[in-house]
Amino acid sequence: MKKIYSAMSVLVLLSMILAACATPEAERIIETVIQTVEVPVVETVQVLSTVVSTQEVPVEVPAERVEIRLSGWASSPSETALLESLLYRFSVENPDINVRYEPITGDYGQSMLTMIASGTEPDVFYLDISVFPTYSQEGVLLPLDDLMASTGTSADDFIPALIDGFSFDGSVYGIPKDFNTLGLFYNKDMFDAAGLDYPTDDWTWDDLRAAAEALTDLTDPDRPIYGLGVPPDAGRFPIFVFQNGGSIMNADFSDTLLDSAEAVGAGEYYTSFRTDQIGASPADVGEGWQGTVFGKGQFAMVYEGGWLIPYLTDQFPDINYDVVVPPAGPGGEGNLIFTVSWSISANCLHPEEAWRVIEFLTNEASQTTVLESGFALPTRISLQDSEYLATNSASAAIFRGAFNGAVPFMWGVVASDVNNGMGQGIERVYLEGMSVADSFAQSAAEIRAAIEASR
Amino acid sequence: MTAQALQKQRKHRRRSEALVAYSFLAPYMFVFFTFTVFAIGYTVYLSFTRYNLLRPPEWWGLEGWKRVLQDDLFLTKALPNTFKYVLIVVPVQTVISLILAFAMDQKLRFRRFFRTMYYLPSVTSSVVISLIFIWLFSPQGVINQVFGLHINWLNDVSTAFPTIMMVNIFTTTGTLMLIFLAGLQDIPTTLYEAASIDGANKVQSLLYVTVPMLRPVIFFVVTTGVIGCFQVFDQIYVMTNGGPLNSTTTVAYVIYKWAFRDTTIKMGQAAVVAIILTMIIMVITFLQRRIIEGSGTSEK
Repeated sequence: MKKIYSAMSVLVLLSMILAACATPEAERIIETVIQTVEVPVVETVQVLSTVVSTQEVPVEVPAERVEIRLSGWASSPSETALLESLLYRFSVENPDINVRYEPITGDYGQSMLTMIASGTEPDVFYLDISVFPTYSQEGVLLPLDDLMASTGTSADDFIPALIDGFSFDGSVYGIPKDFNTLGLFYNKDMFDAAGLDYPTDDWTWDDLRAAAEALTDLTDPDRPIYGLGVPPDAGRFPIFVFQNGGSIMNADFSDTLLDSAEAVGAGEYYTSFRTDQIGASPADVGEGWQGTVFGKGQFAMVYEGGWLIPYLTDQFPDINYDVVVPPAGPGGEGNLIFTVSWSISANCLHPEEAWRVIEFLTNEASQTTVLESGFALPTRISLQDSEYLATNSASAAIFRGAFNGAVPFMWGVVASDVNNGMGQGIERVYLEGMSVADSFAQSAAEIRAAIEASR
Repeated sequence: MTAQALQKQRKHRRRSEALVAYSFLAPYMFVFFTFTVFAIGYTVYLSFTRYNLLRPPEWWGLEGWKRVLQDDLFLTKALPNTFKYVLIVVPVQTVISLILAFAMDQKLRFRRFFRTMYYLPSVTSSVVISLIFIWLFSPQGVINQVFGLHINWLNDVSTAFPTIMMVNIFTTTGTLMLIFLAGLQDIPTTLYEAASIDGANKVQSLLYVTVPMLRPVIFFVVTTGVIGCFQVFDQIYVMTNGGPLNSTTTVAYVIYKWAFRDTTIKMGQAAVVAIILTMIIMVITFLQRRIIEGSGTSEK
C-alpha cells in the first residue's frame, strides 16, 4: 500500500512539473534572454595597480568605481567580441568606471521598451534610427550637447546626414556608431557572360533596366535567373522615390507623400521589373532574403547594404562581385541610411561617466579598429580617406552612398505603419495585380489613419 | 477538563491545521496571484488607458475599445481569419486523430512504432516544425517537386493560410490521437461483445458504441482544440509574420503586433483585443458544453 502511495505521489509530482512546463508557446518565443557578461576588468586593474605600486609610484586607486550598464543587440559572436575588446581597452584607460556589458538577444526593441517601462533600462544603449523619433519625443533620452562640449566633441566631426538623424529640437540625442547605405551589388561573372560593361557610379535608371533585361535567363524553370532583385521591402523601395525627386513623408512627418506622382512613378518603375519578368522578389524563388539569391547567382543585381559583404565572404566565398552607388533616376541620386547610435538614458545617474564610454567607443581610434575588422563603416568624416576604404571598393561604395541625396531610414513615430504601407503597396501590385496608383493610394490612406490615431 | 476548554482546544487544533494547509498553498497562491490574477486585472485596467510603454498609462476611458471595434485590420482580417482557422482546423484535426486512434487501437503489426511516429511531431518544438515546413513548401521545395506543382505556398494570398493550417494539424494530431487512444482503451470490452451478440458490425459498433462512449473525451479534445486554435500565434510568427497582405493575421498576432511590434505601441488596444479574445473563447466553450454534454444528459 505504501508503495502505491509513493508511486502515486511521484506521478502527481511529475504531472505538476509537466503542467508547469506547458507554458504557451507564444510566450516562450518572444521571451528574451538577457545575459550578463561581466567584462573581466576588475582583476586586470588590480594586477596593474599592484605591479605599479611595487615600483613605488603613487597611483590613485579610485575609492568608488562608478558602474555603467551598457546594452546592444548581439548580432554575431565576433561582433560582440569586438565590442568587448574595445570595452576592455576602455577599462584599462578608465579604472574608475566599471562598464557592465549586457547584450540583449532576441527582440531588442521589445526588451528595451519593457525595461524602460519598468525603469530598469541600461545607462548606455544602441538606438536604431527608425525608432529615434518615438524615443526622443517621449523624453527617454538624455540630450548630449553639454556633454559633447565638455570633451570638445563637435557634431561637425560626424557625417551630417547621420548626426542630423539623431537630432531633435536642436539637440543631439545620440552619437552614430556606424551606418550602412544601399549599394548596387552586381555579379561580375554574369556581366562578363552577357558581354556587358560593369555598372559605374554614373549609371541611370535606363542603364539598370537595359542590364536587367540582358542578364535575365528563364530557360531553366527550376533555376530562373533574374536581372534585378525587387523585393516588396520598405527598406529598399524608398530610394527609387528619392531618385524620382519625391519623398515618403513630408518634412515634419505629419503626412505621407506615398500617393504623390513621384512616388507612384517610382513604384511603377520598380514593379515593372517583376511585371516584365526581368526582376523578381526573393519569395518568387523561395528565399526570404535576396542576399541569398544573389549569392546563389539567381539575381544578377541586388540593392543591399554593407551587411551583405561579410555574409557573402562567409557563405558564398567564390562569388565575384562588386558594388557601386545606386543608379540615379530622373530626380537625381537618392539613397537610404541605416544607422544606430549610442544614446544615454534620461534616468542615467552618472551622465559624465556614461558620456566618457560613448566618447571612447566613437573616437577615431575605436572606429578605425571597427572599420579594419570589416564590421561597420565609421561615422567620422575624418576617416573617409582611410586606407581600408581606399583598398575595399565594395565598402567604399557603401560609404560614398551617405553623401548624395541620402535620407535616414526614419518615418516619424508611425514608422512601422509607413513600412507596412510601402511593403503591402508593392505586394498588392505583385500578388493581386492592382495598379500602383490605387495600391499606393490605399496605403497612403492607412498611413494617414495611423498618423491620426497616434496624435 | 471543562467543555469550554475542550472546545477551545479543538478550535485551536482546527486553526493550526488550517495554518499548515495555507502555508502549503502559499507558494502556489503567490505565483497564482502575481502572474495570473494581477496580470488579468492589470490587462483590464490597461484596456481603458493609452499606454506606449515609454510614458505612464494615461486614462482613456472607452476610446481604446471604440478604436478596436472600428479597426479594419482587426475586424476585416484578424477576426474572420481566426474564425476560419478554428472552423477548419478543429474538425479536421479531431476527425483525423480519431481515425488514427481507432487504427492504433487495433492489433496491428508495429503498433508501437506507428504510435511513436504519429506522436513525434507533438513533442517537437513548433518553431522547428514551422521552419521545416517553410523549407518543404518553398517554390523549389519537396512538396512542389514531388507533386510537380509550381505554387508559391507561403507567398500567395490564397495558399499561405491553408499551409499554416496544415502545419498545425500535423503538429496537434499526435497528442489528440493519444488522448483518444486512452479514451478508447477505457471503453469496456463487454459493450463490444454485447453489440456483436446483437449483430452489430464493425462500423455500427464504432458509431453506436465507441463514439457515444467517447463523448467526454471528444468534448475535451474539441474544447482544448478550440482554445488552442483561437490563440494560434507561433506558426504565424515564424512562417509569415501575418503576411502576405495580412492574409494570415490572426487575433493573437494583432495583440503581439500592437503590443510590441509597431513603432507606435498600442498596449491599451492590445489589451482590449486580449479581453475580447478571452470572452469569445469563454462563450464558445460554454456553448460547446451545452451542445456536446447537453445532448447526452438523458441517461443522467
